[in-house]
Amino acid sequence: MTAIVVRPERARQADRRQESIALSHVRLMMVLLLFVAAIGAISIRILCLWAFNRPSAAYDPSDALLPARGEIVDRNGVVMASTINAWSIGIHADRLLNPPEVLARQFARLMPEHSYEQYLKVLKSGRRFVYLRRRALPELVQQINAIGEPAIDYQREPERLYPQASLASHVLGWTDIDGKGASGMERVLQSRLIDPAQRGAPVTLSIDTRVQAAMESELSAAMAKFSAIGAAGVVLDVRTSEVLALTSLPSFNPNAPGHIPMPEPGQVTVRFNRATEGVYELGSTFKPFTVGMAMDSGIVTSFGQMYDCPKALHAGRFTITDTHPFGRRCSVAEIMKESSNIGTAQIAEQVGAQRQRAFLQRLGFLDRVQVELAERGRTLTPGNNWGQIATMTVGYGHGIAVTPLHLATGYATLFNGGIWRPATLFKIGPGHPLPAGHRVFTEQTSLKMRPLLRLVVLKGTGKKADAPGFRIGGKTGTAEKILNGRYTHGAVVTSFAGVFPMDDPRYVVIAMLDEPKATKDTYGFHTAGWNVAPVIQGVVRRIGPLLGVVPDESREVDLSQVLPYVREEGH
Amino acid sequence: MTTKVTTVTRRNRHSGPRLGRADRSPLGTWFWEIDLVLLMLVTALISCGLIAVAAASPSAAVRYSGGNVHVAPLYYFWRQLIWLAMGIPVMFAVSMLPKDLARRLSIAGAAIFTLALALVPVIGVEVNGARRWIGAGGLQFQPSEFLKPLFVVTLAWLLSLRAQDRTLPVFPLTGLITGCIAAILMKQPDFGQTIIFGSMWLALLMLSGVPMRYMAWLGAAGVGAVIAAYFFYPVATARIDAFLHGGGDTYQTDMAHATITNGGLLGMGPGAGTMKFRLPEAHTDYIFSVIGEEFGLLACLAIALLYLFIVMRVFVKLLHEEDSFTLLAAAGLVTEFGLQAVINMAVNTQIAPSKGMTLPFISYGGSSMIALSIGFGLLLAFTRRNPFLTRSPYIVKWNTR
Repeated sequence: MTAIVVRPERARQADRRQESIALSHVRLMMVLLLFVAAIGAISIRILCLWAFNRPSAAYDPSDALLPARGEIVDRNGVVMASTINAWSIGIHADRLLNPPEVLARQFARLMPEHSYEQYLKVLKSGRRFVYLRRRALPELVQQINAIGEPAIDYQREPERLYPQASLASHVLGWTDIDGKGASGMERVLQSRLIDPAQRGAPVTLSIDTRVQAAMESELSAAMAKFSAIGAAGVVLDVRTSEVLALTSLPSFNPNAPGHIPMPEPGQVTVRFNRATEGVYELGSTFKPFTVGMAMDSGIVTSFGQMYDCPKALHAGRFTITDTHPFGRRCSVAEIMKESSNIGTAQIAEQVGAQRQRAFLQRLGFLDRVQVELAERGRTLTPGNNWGQIATMTVGYGHGIAVTPLHLATGYATLFNGGIWRPATLFKIGPGHPLPAGHRVFTEQTSLKMRPLLRLVVLKGTGKKADAPGFRIGGKTGTAEKILNGRYTHGAVVTSFAGVFPMDDPRYVVIAMLDEPKATKDTYGFHTAGWNVAPVIQGVVRRIGPLLGVVPDESREVDLSQVLPYVREEGH
Repeated sequence: MTTKVTTVTRRNRHSGPRLGRADRSPLGTWFWEIDLVLLMLVTALISCGLIAVAAASPSAAVRYSGGNVHVAPLYYFWRQLIWLAMGIPVMFAVSMLPKDLARRLSIAGAAIFTLALALVPVIGVEVNGARRWIGAGGLQFQPSEFLKPLFVVTLAWLLSLRAQDRTLPVFPLTGLITGCIAAILMKQPDFGQTIIFGSMWLALLMLSGVPMRYMAWLGAAGVGAVIAAYFFYPVATARIDAFLHGGGDTYQTDMAHATITNGGLLGMGPGAGTMKFRLPEAHTDYIFSVIGEEFGLLACLAIALLYLFIVMRVFVKLLHEEDSFTLLAAAGLVTEFGLQAVINMAVNTQIAPSKGMTLPFISYGGSSMIALSIGFGLLLAFTRRNPFLTRSPYIVKWNTR
């Protein structure tokens, strides 16, 4: 009897609820699609990150243990340049806690390179970050930290350390504030030293730090003694043209490249590499090349060949003179022994401009010196003016300006059997094979030159270069510097090209002094025989035993080819 | 006889295996009612998070060490483990609540935490230039973190009332509540959370069936609000400018980019990351980048998909839900969860400008881990259902029997 009646509004409500739930389900799907789209976009982005941002090639976890920049070592593995973790000190000037005046006073006390006012200016600038000091020492960091200013920021940054200080500074060069090679081998090796695949292994140079140190110490002693403005020295392996020592003085400390002094007016900066950048008329040290060319060309067949050597030789409007005039006919041996310009000029004239030029070209004297460094000077040659007179002057080393390293490679060529090889700063060995080179002189000429140059040291201008038992041979050279277009008698460049041991040549030693002055010891002379020859003696004495050349006074070069042609003059 | 047999059968059922179909204990009921797939997904996520925090911990430890303070490399990992040890029981407890009780507690909680949020400017602690935290010493919490899930449940309840009585002005009411909370958040300032709360309100309106033309208007208003924020709200101006023009301080985003791409597809291996040490907030906001560096972009992809699966699982299951409140609450909770993950991953992959937002269950976080556990516990509670009473045609059963 009870009628079940569904109230219409109830029924409508139930319908509406159904409808609303159905709508919610549709909306659920829409929101879900939004999520799918969002996660899809993120996934695509992740794949893009992978596809377009490949990590740097083949990551090696041991990378973290490698130095940021590879080491440079000498031929015996002595570290010449390495990278350490240093400190830098900076300040966030926009969030100082202490008053700027207090901080500036402390900074000026601890880091006196800037004044109180300068520090105050930086602190009041409100800049986000300013470096106060880079390459800071740990003690300084500690002292600055003790100020207790939270806005000071310390960071570790790799720093280049040259443990040998100024030794071979021109060879190594230095790195700039961002650690990039700025000069020398640091610049040449820039990409090699930071290459992740190679930077773990050090670069081995041909330099021998012991030889380099001996050369630098002897040269700087001579430079000080004779008040020279500069000096250069090279030690070269005759057989391979490896540079064992290469120095230019004054040198600098590559650990503080920012503190390299400015040059005095009229002088070159200490950064200037006199051994590879500086070109000099090296004078008489050129004469052996002229004789060598003449022998190769069949012009000089015996050291007894005679030339007329008057007191003065007139060639065009020039007059050639000798420091030790003969005033008679003399042999080739005598010309070399007493370094006669007149005699050599005549030999050169016979060789002729064309042949002379071709020889010098093959010796590399007409181009920039061949070595890895970027700091290489352009040589000065007679160029298109290579006439008879130029040929004669070039024969004794005037009218042509080359670097000391040119001279060293030239001597190596003359004494290694006649093969020219480019000078190299890399140790010959794995990765750096011995270059084939090319022949300039015949082997015979090379052999015959030995007693001739030994004679110069034994009896001629180079006596002071002789170190007992080392059989040094060599040639002096004194050239007047051209100042304002004129040769000046006062300013000279003296050089000595030595080779030892002469019975089996192993090393070339070149030393050069720029503007040495006469002293009481030298009886008023400023020629090479007096000031730079003793350097050779000192260097060879020190490096000979290190390089395995045993001093032996019982051995001597066979001088039978030259001695008979030297007339002993009664003094 | 018949009765006796029944009794015997019953006794047998009682003595059935633990968590067996016959187990009628609260735990047994819970086990059969809970969405086990969802539970497994979140367990996987928490496990990934623990590994990620272990990977990112040394980086954060190095950053916060210095002077006399030394933070052990795995400090944040052990802390995270402790927080998880507290968070997981909370999640289980909340997931066992009956739906009605869960709803009532949520609404009460929402009121309490809104009050706490309002008090933050008065008694709050300032961290990194924003006042978002309450508490002192070791016990600090961010009321907005706790408020988020409770707010969602409250909105869901208010909106579901409309299904019973169409005359209730629930839209203006919920809009007012959201607006008040947004205003408090903007004062802190907390731009990221404001966007989350606003988005949640929009999402719930959408799900509750507000006509699309209103939604379009509201969406346009939302975009307008972001543009207005850009012009009148300095924090937003800075962040958006930095993102659009690459100007300003891009250190964080640059480092994040370098970190996430450093490991390539397969990563550099656990603990082998190097870029992570330069990354600020490696253990919280930028943990996704650390995962990219150490475990590879494939791991990033897997985590993004894990979040998507969680959202999909809940949504698909809700397609068969008939109760308006349950539907709105569960969908809202999982949307909030997913949205936060999407925003964080978008920031880490440089699709979106940087915001202070963590990756749920992956990032290191103390009190926020508890807040997340409460939120996910509520989600589990609302997705619980008697598998025999209502059987969703869309879902393959956990047990095929």
